[in-house]
Amino acid sequence: MRTARGHWAVSAVLFVMGVLLVVQFRAQTANGGLSNLTTQDLTTLIANLNDRNSELRSEVADLQAQLRTLQGTQQTGASNVGQLQSELQQLRMWSGLDPVRGDGVVIIIDGPITAAASNEILNELRIAGAEAMAIDGVRVVPGTVVGGNPGGLSVENVALPMPFHLEAIGDPANLQAVLQRAGGVISRIAVAQPDVTVEVAATTMTLPGTDRDLDAPDAKPQL
Amino acid sequence: MSALVARVRRIPSWQFTLGVALLVLGFLITAQLRSLVPRTQYDSSDLPPLRQTAQELQAAQDQLKAQILDLRAQVQAAEQNGQGNAAQITALNAQLGDARLAAGLVALQGPGVVVSLRDSTRPVPPGAAPGDLLVSAADLRQVIDLLWLSGAEAVSVNGERIAVTTPLTDIGSSVLVNSSYLQPPYQISAIGPADLYTRLATSAAFVAYLQNRAQAVGLDVALLQSNDVQVPAYSGTVNLIHARPVASPVPGGSASPIGSATP
Repeated sequence: MRTARGHWAVSAVLFVMGVLLVVQFRAQTANGGLSNLTTQDLTTLIANLNDRNSELRSEVADLQAQLRTLQGTQQTGASNVGQLQSELQQLRMWSGLDPVRGDGVVIIIDGPITAAASNEILNELRIAGAEAMAIDGVRVVPGTVVGGNPGGLSVENVALPMPFHLEAIGDPANLQAVLQRAGGVISRIAVAQPDVTVEVAATTMTLPGTDRDLDAPDAKPQL
Repeated sequence: MSALVARVRRIPSWQFTLGVALLVLGFLITAQLRSLVPRTQYDSSDLPPLRQTAQELQAAQDQLKAQILDLRAQVQAAEQNGQGNAAQITALNAQLGDARLAAGLVALQGPGVVVSLRDSTRPVPPGAAPGDLLVSAADLRQVIDLLWLSGAEAVSVNGERIAVTTPLTDIGSSVLVNSSYLQPPYQISAIGPADLYTRLATSAAFVAYLQNRAQAVGLDVALLQSNDVQVPAYSGTVNLIHARPVASPVPGGSASPIGSATP
């Protein structure tokens, strides 16, 4: 009788101990995310989120206006053809299917640059708000990546000559500032790959539409 | 002396077990209470102001994205009920469908690969910075670029679709994709041809990445082949401010002029 009571007591204590162990372990591992960021990082993050959210708010406003116009036209019985054509044109330019024209920068690269550094320049151009880009006349669409080894780079299976140029449409001052800032991508390449020269100039350009099919043949729309 | 030994021997063994267990329990309760003290400072009630602002902004962004996806679906539905020349409306909707697919505005599923990347758990070696042992934006870009080169058709990271304008940047020890703050571990989902996994796993550049970077510092990179990879729709802006149409025949072979489309 006494032994049985003892077993119950031990079981109860072990149970509580197990629960506490798990709670303690979880408390230790759940300490990820924002709490790892310094004040400096948080300030950068907040600036990014602020910019992005105001962009998204204007996208929401645009879509609401677009929807109102569509529905308004439908009530009056007028044709929607013009609206659909206008949206089609914007989507085709944005996605890279159609050629575009505008102000931006041209970057001339000479020397044995790595593929990773070339792709890093493209990423920096996106950070600076580039709206359309091309690598030596090949329009950049999702999946357009510089590949190969230094001296033998290629894009979409076409060999890149030396020198080659990257073009980006966007605010020229902003694009130049991001590329050329102290510690930016160009100064990093100058340190890591001293044989490579990278020159940037503002210009007006026309970028071609892509030659690629962007129809994702192996994918299906989610239901 | 022998009386004491005899007395100790009379104590049942379960009392010893219970005694030891209670001792450990006491330690655990103390550890738990102590660890609670600093943690309560990070609860939402009194977060440091910057952290709270960042959290609120990220929550607002998530809401805006959901709203954009919803509005795009409504616009698409309204366009499918568009009025005008029926044949022209049908043709335009088909072209819009292709353009949405090309822009990444359609959520996709299909065969492909999921690559997961986790921070190194090794101790920081002397001379190295702790950040070197974490998954960075450069790691994600490298793997994503190699997936594209292996034939991927649609890619996302932790629910953020990689669109034509998507940048990946580091913020401290974490990564922003489409200006959205992502928490490790990172999962890159890619849809592509049946041999996407083989092409990636056997590509010289990927093997070099694993050896020179991942294995060198102990990043945990895992590849999973799947017949049902899900890639969400891009929920960001498709606005163009600096890019203008090139004066040329209307895209998609349609014969009618765009008219007042240029702002």
